[in-house]
Amino acid sequence: MAVPQKKDPLDRLFMIVTATAAISVIVILTGIFVVLLSESSLAISRFGFFRFLASTDWNPVTESFGAATAVFGTIVTTLIALLIAVPTAVGIAVFVTEIAPDFLKGPIGIAIELLAAIPSIIYGMWGLFTLAPLMAQHVEPFLQRTFGDLPIVGALFQGTPMGIDIFSASVILSIMIIPFTASIARDSFNLTPAVVKESAYGIGATKWEVVKSVVLPYSKLGVFGGVVLSLGRALGETMAVAFVLGNNHVITASLFDAASTITVTLANEFTEADSDIYLSSLFYLALVLFLLSFIILAIAKFVLLRAEKRYSR
Amino acid sequence: MTREQKRKIENIAALSLSSLAAAFGLFWLVFILGDVLVHGIGALTPELFLNDPAPPGIEGGGLRHAFLGQIMITFFATLIGVPVGVLGGTYLAEYARGTKLARVIGILADIMVSVPSIVIGTFIYALLVRPLGHFSGWAGSVALAVIMIPVVLRTTEDMLSLVPWTLREAAFALGAPHYKVIVQVVYRGAATGILTGVLLSIARVAGETAPLLFTSFNNNFFSTDMNGPMASLTVAVFQYAMGPFEEWHAQAWAASLIITLFILTVTIAGRAIVRWRYKS
Amino acid sequence: MTQEPEIETKDLSFYYAGNVHALKRINVDIGKNLVTAFIGPSGCGKTTLLRCFNRMHDLYPSNRYEGQIIFQGRNILESNLDLIRLRSSIGMVFQKPTPFPMTIHDNIAYGLKLKGLRKKAELSDRVEKALTDSALWGEVKDKLHESAYALSGGQQQRLCIARALAVEPEVLLFDEPTSALDPISTGKIEELISQLKDRVSIIIVTHNMQQAARVSDMTAFLYLGEIIEYGPTKKIFTNPDNKQTDDYITGRFG
Repeated sequence: MAVPQKKDPLDRLFMIVTATAAISVIVILTGIFVVLLSESSLAISRFGFFRFLASTDWNPVTESFGAATAVFGTIVTTLIALLIAVPTAVGIAVFVTEIAPDFLKGPIGIAIELLAAIPSIIYGMWGLFTLAPLMAQHVEPFLQRTFGDLPIVGALFQGTPMGIDIFSASVILSIMIIPFTASIARDSFNLTPAVVKESAYGIGATKWEVVKSVVLPYSKLGVFGGVVLSLGRALGETMAVAFVLGNNHVITASLFDAASTITVTLANEFTEADSDIYLSSLFYLALVLFLLSFIILAIAKFVLLRAEKRYSR
Repeated sequence: MTREQKRKIENIAALSLSSLAAAFGLFWLVFILGDVLVHGIGALTPELFLNDPAPPGIEGGGLRHAFLGQIMITFFATLIGVPVGVLGGTYLAEYARGTKLARVIGILADIMVSVPSIVIGTFIYALLVRPLGHFSGWAGSVALAVIMIPVVLRTTEDMLSLVPWTLREAAFALGAPHYKVIVQVVYRGAATGILTGVLLSIARVAGETAPLLFTSFNNNFFSTDMNGPMASLTVAVFQYAMGPFEEWHAQAWAASLIITLFILTVTIAGRAIVRWRYKS
Repeated sequence: MTQEPEIETKDLSFYYAGNVHALKRINVDIGKNLVTAFIGPSGCGKTTLLRCFNRMHDLYPSNRYEGQIIFQGRNILESNLDLIRLRSSIGMVFQKPTPFPMTIHDNIAYGLKLKGLRKKAELSDRVEKALTDSALWGEVKDKLHESAYALSGGQQQRLCIARALAVEPEVLLFDEPTSALDPISTGKIEELISQLKDRVSIIIVTHNMQQAARVSDMTAFLYLGEIIEYGPTKKIFTNPDNKQTDDYITGRFG
């Protein structure tokens, strides 16, 4: 041909540029860890690791900081949220995949995903102005009347229902993670091979029996992965809980008490921290949250990958 | 009761519970959206868009400064995050396809998508705010870009993987170097999908509040200076909702309505594009 | 065949990743300006062999060649070979039509632009010529600037042939070019192949034996990665030397 060609140096350049962009993911994640670690070094050397996690003291005046109250709030709100969200989400997935007529499957699926797209600040707003008063005036007094006098369980429902408390925060959190969990559960359900389901129907199983004995066992790994992923999400959620949890550093038995989480503490106090050790302790909290969610998300990812591998065989 | 009857009843009970769960989920969607609409629409006035905040207690203030700040912060976040995400996704799908490195980066990106956004806020604070001594719009943009990168990267990778290999081979067979195959052929084949990914990532960050709290912070005045603290709609909602004035609450609802409408529109549009493009 | 062969392989072996021995010591001369067909059952290595000629296997890691392929006096398996140049001399048409997501005009002009052609007028001349050569000009001349996806499957495949022709290669490789097309489109492509051999040497892989008999001058029968028999098409299809060839031909042919 008339026009001679040389090996294009641009090809190498383009590859290097794209590789750099891809590697930025590793750099950023490592960067977050390193920066948070170095910023919290002051607090780490002052409070140690286990002592920091175990201490319930959070006192800017005496400059004594411990993570126990924030970790407590984070874990309690997350667990209660999962308690509400997981059964609901699995139910939704069953409905969408097995029960809903075809013309409803699409729209409901979309509606669920829209729920997931609503930003957390909207949940927070709504929680503060709409849900919290409802909780304070109706739901919480009712729960208190019903369960408040029971032994042991009753301890969960003490205090004056204000609506700004662990219970409201957990409910909002659960509404936030329902769509997330549901769409992963639905995707896992859809991976069940049709022939396997058909053969179960073929021997006379009811729809529920097919779900219970074929679909659920088949997809349990995927659903479990989805639950863990939602757990990771819930742990790190800030705005949805920041509005309705108060920011109260206590460990309390009652669901009707205000509390705090790691995220809420950061959101409320980060820009107000007036001493080095205060700010360093906040960075330390962020580091704890980062590691906690990283580990949980990594587990979720691992489980989901294994689930995928299993189905693709 | 015979065994058959028992099974049938159990079946109906379980299926009803599932349907109830779906109704429960939809109930919240309608409740929240309806509530935001009802409260927000009343405060949607021209002043909201045209005026800057009035001193507390004085009528007629707006959120012009926050709209502008939100747009600028999101725009520059897109400008930073999208190229990095698209190029990174390109590397995973084209040069490193099937390699261990691609798998590891893919998994890390998935984890990064779910890293608490407030943690990213603290990270950028330590990186860009404290060393410079002041909050800035740039810091906010970078924080949002960090959130966008893994989202765009993963969708780009997925969309490029959907482009059939034969198309690349056809371009190679003409003697095209790899980068030209990617830029001129593969990107064109995946353009709609990548664009959708970009749209969805914008929707994702447009509602973010937590990472802005310590980066772009807030500003009660109109400002186009990306080097200084900058207002954003989401942070304004947080501030106004927690504040003591009725007027503020009304404006917070109105801002929430606009954020919600924007995000839902973009999300629905993104999904519609995907459906339209990949149906056949 | 008194002429120099266009391509000559010497003890060519090929291994896919994981040491799968896909081609075993292939020796074959591809004649200039002839149509050479590779036939054989699925998995016999005919497509693998075809894709050696433009080093398509290099796109995937851990594939390995042994032996030599001589083209224009040079072993094209040498590691320092300019693949980009090789591939503009040896074009390829694939099983399914692979139009690029661009207009008809841009699809054809693409390869030319890669070679550095920039002048608009010259580009459109070359595009017209390539389309005329591939018997598509009459059908598309009014919609050159519409998307190539708007064409029918058969037209798309001829577009891909035109795209390959536009860069004026010496050799064209066809990998089952009609397996995704209807009989009428297939007929047009076969006619085109017969016309093109005045200008290029053609190698076609097909598992449609009638097609091989119709379009080719030479035929090679491959089985389990080896060439069992290679000779003039007429002889292979009427009076093969080898019993395996005979079985394959008679089992599937007529």
